[in-house]
Amino acid sequence: MNVTQLADQLRKDPHFMENVTRWEVVPPRPARTADFPESVDPRIRDVLAKRGIHALYTHQAQSLAATERGEDVTVVTPTASGKTLCYNLPVLSAILKNPDARALYLFPTKALSADQVSELYEMIELMGADIKTYTYDGDTPAAARKAIRQAGHIVITNPDMLHSGILPHHTKWVKLFENLKFIVIDEIHTYRGIFGSNLANVLRRLMRLCDFYGSHPQFILCSATIANPRELATTLTGREVTLIDDNGAPMGERHFVFYNPPVINRQLGIRKGSIPVTRAISGLLLKNGISSITFARSRLTVEVLTKYLKDMVRDPLGNAGRVRGYRGGYLPSERREIERGLRAGQVDAVVSTNALELGIDIGSLDACVLCGYPGTIASAWQQAGRAGRRQSASIVFFVASSSAIDQYIVTHPDYFLKKSPENALLNPDNLYVLISHFKCAAFELPFEDGDGFGNAPGTEEMLDYLDEAQILHHVDGRYHWSSEDFPASQISLRSAAEENFVIIDITDPARHRVVGEMDRFTVPMLLHENAIYMHEGRQFQVEKLDFEACKAYIRAADTGYYTDADLNLNLSLLDIEKEENTARGYRVGLGEIKVTALVTMFKKIRFDTHENLGFGRVRLPETDMHTTAMWWTMPPDLTQSIPSDTLKNGMMGVANLLRIVCPLYLMCSPQDIAVVYQVRSPVTGEPTLILYDQCPGGIGLSQKAFNMREMLLERALQVVNDCGCPQGCPSCVGPVGEVGSDGKPTAIRILKELMA
Amino acid sequence: MNLRDKLRAVGGSGGARTKQEDGGSAAPGDCRYLAVKRPLSEFPGALAVRGETLEKMTGTEMPSPFDPKRILYLDTETTGLRGSGTVAFLVGLGYLTEEGFEIHQFLMRDYDEETYLLKHVEAGMNRFDMLCTFNGSTFDVPLLEGRLLMNRFRRDCLDKPHIDLLQLARRVWKLRLKRCNLGRLETVVLGAPRGEDLPGSEVPKRYFTYLKTKQESLLDDILTHNAQDIASLCVLLTHMAEMYEHPEQVAFSEDLYSMGRSMEKNRRPEEARRYYQLARMGRMRGEAGLALGRNLRRAGERDQAEALWSEMIAHGAGGVQPYIEMAKLLEHRKRDYKGALEMTERALLRLSEERLREDRTVQETKNALQYRRRRLKKRLASRPQNDDAGRPEEER
Repeated sequence: MNVTQLADQLRKDPHFMENVTRWEVVPPRPARTADFPESVDPRIRDVLAKRGIHALYTHQAQSLAATERGEDVTVVTPTASGKTLCYNLPVLSAILKNPDARALYLFPTKALSADQVSELYEMIELMGADIKTYTYDGDTPAAARKAIRQAGHIVITNPDMLHSGILPHHTKWVKLFENLKFIVIDEIHTYRGIFGSNLANVLRRLMRLCDFYGSHPQFILCSATIANPRELATTLTGREVTLIDDNGAPMGERHFVFYNPPVINRQLGIRKGSIPVTRAISGLLLKNGISSITFARSRLTVEVLTKYLKDMVRDPLGNAGRVRGYRGGYLPSERREIERGLRAGQVDAVVSTNALELGIDIGSLDACVLCGYPGTIASAWQQAGRAGRRQSASIVFFVASSSAIDQYIVTHPDYFLKKSPENALLNPDNLYVLISHFKCAAFELPFEDGDGFGNAPGTEEMLDYLDEAQILHHVDGRYHWSSEDFPASQISLRSAAEENFVIIDITDPARHRVVGEMDRFTVPMLLHENAIYMHEGRQFQVEKLDFEACKAYIRAADTGYYTDADLNLNLSLLDIEKEENTARGYRVGLGEIKVTALVTMFKKIRFDTHENLGFGRVRLPETDMHTTAMWWTMPPDLTQSIPSDTLKNGMMGVANLLRIVCPLYLMCSPQDIAVVYQVRSPVTGEPTLILYDQCPGGIGLSQKAFNMREMLLERALQVVNDCGCPQGCPSCVGPVGEVGSDGKPTAIRILKELMA
Repeated sequence: MNLRDKLRAVGGSGGARTKQEDGGSAAPGDCRYLAVKRPLSEFPGALAVRGETLEKMTGTEMPSPFDPKRILYLDTETTGLRGSGTVAFLVGLGYLTEEGFEIHQFLMRDYDEETYLLKHVEAGMNRFDMLCTFNGSTFDVPLLEGRLLMNRFRRDCLDKPHIDLLQLARRVWKLRLKRCNLGRLETVVLGAPRGEDLPGSEVPKRYFTYLKTKQESLLDDILTHNAQDIASLCVLLTHMAEMYEHPEQVAFSEDLYSMGRSMEKNRRPEEARRYYQLARMGRMRGEAGLALGRNLRRAGERDQAEALWSEMIAHGAGGVQPYIEMAKLLEHRKRDYKGALEMTERALLRLSEERLREDRTVQETKNALQYRRRRLKKRLASRPQNDDAGRPEEER
């Protein structure tokens, strides 16, 4: 059976269709092509012709033309639209023309780099050209490093390695820096939040060194579809970019099916699980010989689903091998084998975590099943993009879990189908981030009086501060690094605070191993002594937390309960950036706050039943965090006309709604922002709703929320209005047990007042 | 809240520092310069070091005509260990003259003096043919290269034959001493332990304290330490050259054996034999014998090799290996299958007698021998013995 036949059959099945909230058919789109421009080296054209490529898609031609004009380019196209040619063509042409030319490729993960290298190798080999392409990362053997530094035309690496392995050793990379023509950064939508803020500063450092060595590289950036690719690219690189987002690649007909598992307990609003439903849908595809990829959110779910599907086709002929699991933690060789199997069509069904989401080449499949929302629309589209034939039809199923965000999407499919609403945000000028990179930059090359650091503000104050702190040493118009530390080793690009805690598993006394890291602001919540720490689905108990040494020691434990720390939060105002008095008499503000967190006790909660099994005490110092925040005070009419308990319940409801809505529009995970309500807020002195960046220094979420506050309120109102529950549920204002029976109507009233 | 207050809040500590003005003893526009002269009597034999000995030791060509006075000894003191932000704040240069050993030290009293320091170092280096350092090929030279680059100097002053004594010392002493840092070599090899000395790891901290306080006396220890390092380089080089020239005066069998290995590495197998022969007289009898035997076999000196294996078997030196070598020789060279089988049996016996650890190599050796035994038995069974014994056959 093919996809079209299956779609027809399903649409005639009333049992299936009663849970489908939307069935969208996107008509096929023909290819739009353009001839190769003259500038493409004939050797490259020959090689492409051998691979069956005789013309460029329009977006490839456009990006090539812009690159040739010397512009910095950002290409926004979906999965499998041939975006790699957008950067490989100009880079290879430049190197063929001038063998001294160099290019630097940055990918967010190792698997992606490996995939890129093999594709480049293949092209270069077919051309018979002497172009050396190397991966330079933590796995590169020491013996090979020297050759790469000297002779690598194309150096493929990741931001972490650039930060700690290349920039601080730039004098060994003279050839690269002197001749750098292109900086290629793929998957830039992954560089948001702290990671993006760090990368932007790594790029400031890179450009500073290029200046020193006299090179002027161009940027070629690629992104999945998000709402603000140009803003993201500009914030990352500090440059204006040319946006190429008119995809010329062909696409067959596509079906998008939104499936909400049926409610099995009306009172509690409990739905059938997404895993059994996914099992049924993926199984149906497998039985009908339709190649598919199923995305699950956890490694455990991947394993469970893989087993179900394997069991379905297991026979003495070894057909179970047609079903494969794929996730981080598999050996690289095993992963490569699965990727080959997929490309060759020997694997019919693969179940994967988001490990296969980014551009690893596995060819195209007929169908894709998303078991739960992957966290961002960009990810969802990238996962969905794994299914999509250029000629024939393909189908994507979205199976919603019972989480509030999943429920929002399955009931508002336009959020997914229409123009992307997500903004990838970062804040290169986050002080915590900035100060760390100032240190690295000063180590790499002394600052001179009057020097800037990209477009960072307050360079002089920053340098003087570091001089006073005796980290830099100012003499004769220059700021020199004057500490024996190696600053790059103290910063992790993927987390906020300077001092991360390491988590050490001491289950095996002979082999203590580090299993993870956590930033110091989260540690009191999750790693206090006797906390149950979950890692890859396993439970550990925290045996000792050494706050001084930044270490937490955990031991495997099978407790049957988890812990939830009671956090006392104190917010105080540091600085008001903007505050508006509205006509309705309430205020909306943006500014900086100090969040003081103190954990004093924790609850033990039984798995499944969620019974409270008791309390434990926590003795830890307070932690302070400076961050950005936005706030709404409550309209005076309202506060004067309703009892304060009712007001409190309503505010709690609005806070819960904002927690659901904000991550969708700010492209962050729910834990990146906090929304709190205070009946008497020390920040404003009034009843206030406060939203803040849950990360030291802030990454721009509050600013963006401030700018789009009308829309956030509107969406929150839409969620609560559209929710069918009588008095509140976790998918809107929160369960009635928490917000009370007046919570839902009051929340609606508050939202309407704030929008009026 | 202004940026400064925020920075304080973010950074926690910080506090203002009282800047001390420079003492004023500096000549403007230059770095500090110190010169020390050591009497020639502290460097016996140094002027007699021959170019060909150094060529032998290093495996690289020396300038011709060779003059030990044209070697520049170099050592740096730095602000750290890695990365392009590490600075050589003190560079010491030493060289021999007919009268003694001159040490010139260039010290930057602050970062603004680095370019003067580099100017002196560049000029100093250009006056010499060769460079001699301790670990310079991985540390001092790349570091200076980086500093020259960052200060926009030419870097060709560093392109000259380079004797890295750490590498050479490791080849000779690693086997016996395990660790080969300069202090240990001074104590154990040169018999001249240092008294009070500033540990190298303390150097960056000391320099930063100096930068903050500008108390020049803080640097005295560093200057002494650096000068001593440079003088030691010359003494050590002389000592090593003498070892290679007069191996009969070398006391340790391990060192002689290691010197033989290093000659093989430098593709001087004949030289190697000389050191192996001497090493066989000491504790390394077995190992040196085996190395010598293999060396002879590779050189095609089969008779000498055979004599050596026999002798080793007779004296029980070198474990099971001489038996194996002998069996190979009998089987493939002499086609004496019976003799080879006998030798294989003895090897197996020897292997079981020795009660060696039953590790993988032993097991592999045993397997190989058993395989050899089976093959020899088959050969003996398939054709009459000795019809063409003595005709050589290549070992596969």
